[in-house]
Amino acid sequence: MMIQLTATPTSALIDEPVHIRATGLPPFQIVVLQATLKDEMGNLFHSHAYYKANEVGEVDLERAPSLGGDYVGVHPMGLFWSLKPENILTKLLKRDVMSSPFLVQIKLYDSNLPLIHIPTTAPKVSLTLERWYTAPGTKRIQVREGHIRGTLFLPPGEGRFPGVIDLFAGVGGLIESRASLLASHGFATLALAYCDYEDLPSQPEKTDLEYFEEAVNFLLRHPKVLGPGVGIVSISKGAEIGLSMAIHLKQVTATVLINGPNFVIRIPQVYRGQISQPLPFSPQLLSINALGLAEFQHNFEEARNEANENFLLPIEKAQGHFLFIVGEDDKNLNSKAYAKQATEQLRRNGKNNWTLLSYPGAGHLLEAPYSPLCCASKISSLHLFIHWGGEVTPHAIAQEHSWKEIKKFLRKHLLPVVTSQL
Amino acid sequence: SIIHPAILRTQAVSVTKRNTTPSLSQLPMVQLTATPASALADEPVHIRVTGLRPLQMVTLMASLKDEKGNVFWSRAFYKANEVGELDLMQTPAFGGDYVGVHPMGLFWSLKPKKAFQRLLKKDVMNSPFWITLNLYDSVCFEDVITDQVMASQVVQRWFSGPGLQRVQIREGRVRGALFLPPGEGPFPGVIDLFGGRGGLVEFRASLLAARGFAVLALAYFAYEDLPSDLLEIDLEYFEEAANLLLAHPKVQTPGIGVISVSKGAEIGLAMACFLKQVVATIWINGTNAIFEFPLRYKDMVITPIPTFVERMQLDISGAMRLRHYKGDPWDELNQQSVLPIEKALGSILFIVGENDECMNSKEYAEQALHQLRSHGRNNGRMLLYPGAGHLIEPPYSPLCYASPNKNFSLPLLWGGDPAAHAAAQEHSWGEILKFFRQHLTQTRSKL
Repeated sequence: MMIQLTATPTSALIDEPVHIRATGLPPFQIVVLQATLKDEMGNLFHSHAYYKANEVGEVDLERAPSLGGDYVGVHPMGLFWSLKPENILTKLLKRDVMSSPFLVQIKLYDSNLPLIHIPTTAPKVSLTLERWYTAPGTKRIQVREGHIRGTLFLPPGEGRFPGVIDLFAGVGGLIESRASLLASHGFATLALAYCDYEDLPSQPEKTDLEYFEEAVNFLLRHPKVLGPGVGIVSISKGAEIGLSMAIHLKQVTATVLINGPNFVIRIPQVYRGQISQPLPFSPQLLSINALGLAEFQHNFEEARNEANENFLLPIEKAQGHFLFIVGEDDKNLNSKAYAKQATEQLRRNGKNNWTLLSYPGAGHLLEAPYSPLCCASKISSLHLFIHWGGEVTPHAIAQEHSWKEIKKFLRKHLLPVVTSQL
Repeated sequence: SIIHPAILRTQAVSVTKRNTTPSLSQLPMVQLTATPASALADEPVHIRVTGLRPLQMVTLMASLKDEKGNVFWSRAFYKANEVGELDLMQTPAFGGDYVGVHPMGLFWSLKPKKAFQRLLKKDVMNSPFWITLNLYDSVCFEDVITDQVMASQVVQRWFSGPGLQRVQIREGRVRGALFLPPGEGPFPGVIDLFGGRGGLVEFRASLLAARGFAVLALAYFAYEDLPSDLLEIDLEYFEEAANLLLAHPKVQTPGIGVISVSKGAEIGLAMACFLKQVVATIWINGTNAIFEFPLRYKDMVITPIPTFVERMQLDISGAMRLRHYKGDPWDELNQQSVLPIEKALGSILFIVGENDECMNSKEYAEQALHQLRSHGRNNGRMLLYPGAGHLIEPPYSPLCYASPNKNFSLPLLWGGDPAAHAAAQEHSWGEILKFFRQHLTQTRSKL
């Protein structure tokens, strides 16, 4: 019997699962499955898993447990989210989200080869999958209106779509991967840059909320955007801004805050003459882990213990809804504590406009499902590696679950409720 | 990310600026003392700083270059007290490579600049490790330090003491190095066995000898004319080494001790079972059964329990976790491979790191003790250290996260949480010395 390897669908959005099966193997044979990906910069990523064929010579990743390798247990998408870079700590990032997919090669070796032999052994079978960041028909529009800089992604099809602003972390530049995916799921999404991009300042000295208000108004004015409210999906420093937008701008009706602070970080915030000062940062509270990676999650503890409530963002003033997403193993920010404090503040003020999803084992960089965990990065011009945290398997589970919840949350609060009239 | 380069530079610089305004009246002289400045590597060092400004924030950094030129370093951030003093025996570190009160933290948290290097002293007789302690006037957390050193001190860490003798051994089949304490003796004899890296590792043997034991660091493969790969364990080789040691005029008779780690501990336990010359065995993170290749002793052959290539796991760092690799010694199909520990005449101390990522040491030790108990023996004892990993070594040895092994394409993950691992090393060393003194000291019968 011929050994066959199938993976369906062969071409899909990166947040869609793939069903991988091998048939025609000798019964109970141990095999190695390997996934390989080359990113746009030429960096190679690999993952491996060992499986045992059943009594009819099949391995079905939806049922069979991996015995070892980059993950263990039943994880149909494990080969994707456990991809590891050849060059340690390289992050997988898609720059061109429109015109090309990531190509993932799946290879099957029909013996329990030690990993050392894989590079010099030909696989028994292999196939290539396309993983796209945009659905067909999605439109990408460069935005340079007024002060606003970013990219607007419009879903395929006619009609108007709920508007969402996507805010990434404070590394600067513009990351479009999440915005393009949200658009592929029916949201008119503005990936909004706010520093170190085009003519925006490379190291702003303050965060001016009027810039973000301008972006909200731009989005609501757009003929393809359904009002009256907009949503925000934000992470890390972006979530500080997202929270502040929700507080000051009544058009913000649904805000997703991923691993963000409930206070201002680093540079003051201003809005129409009102200034919010940042919470002081204590450099001496930095921890270095066993691998030499820098962990910043304790650096605000001294200030938080001593500060009065004026430092906390007045979340109770926000009129919209919140979805807090927390990685409990975040090593960059004490996300769990900040979300807890923010939700307690809401509770004390009699508000129940929030949901908190807390994921054990998940780290700071919670991204689209099946994205490999990047546990640390070198930030340019800073001479150290920053540990983001997260354990591979729980982090993957958190990404899969939270993504579904984010889409559900945005639909619930941004789409009009249709009621039948009798 | 939430942390931007600018914030850190601003904070660090402002701290420096505030503190470098000298007063015209006398500037207190900053003094960094480390005592003893020269000592055995298993002795603690008392580090103190005086002459700082009250509540001044500083960085203490340790750095070392090993014999291959690899740099290891560590740092911690401290705050001086109201009189400008720091005493590492009392002052907690706020952050850095460790947090809290850890007088020897700078030593055991040393990390390699190049990933996966292991700190291992080759020449144990003629040179120490030189560790430079540097004090900086601010919180320095970047890899590149631009601050001026405020005070500096070099400490020497030796692996042998004055009068210690090293004798290269090439007798019969036996290959290794014998370390003899100064004096006439006779001294209790110990064989020191390391693990699957092969070659000859001498630093633990020489330290034990500095504590009064005659120690034979015994190589068994990949050394001189020994086989380059380990394909079987010939227990008669180890018996020859034991007899050689006992025959030495400076070694006490009639019994010797064995200290062994990892694969060496599998061999050490086999020696305890079959060789009556062995009266005290220390087993560190080993196995209780024969794995990988057979053990042979005279007519007896013990076949190995198989290993399962497919059960290897990859850590996020890319290192290999072999903890689940080996077959199960409880499996009734594997019983002929389990060592008959009830036959051991001497005493056995099992030292276990609960976070061992290389093998299931805890399970193996527990099964061995269960076996002893079920035969009515009570000559075994376990020391279980939560948070400790595979490579439990003499005190203050830095925790090695993972290191290369020639049999595998990727570095091997050893496991261990740094602070807990350091505490385990410190505590177990005391227990090791106590154990050998108790079971090897000659009870001279008066006639």
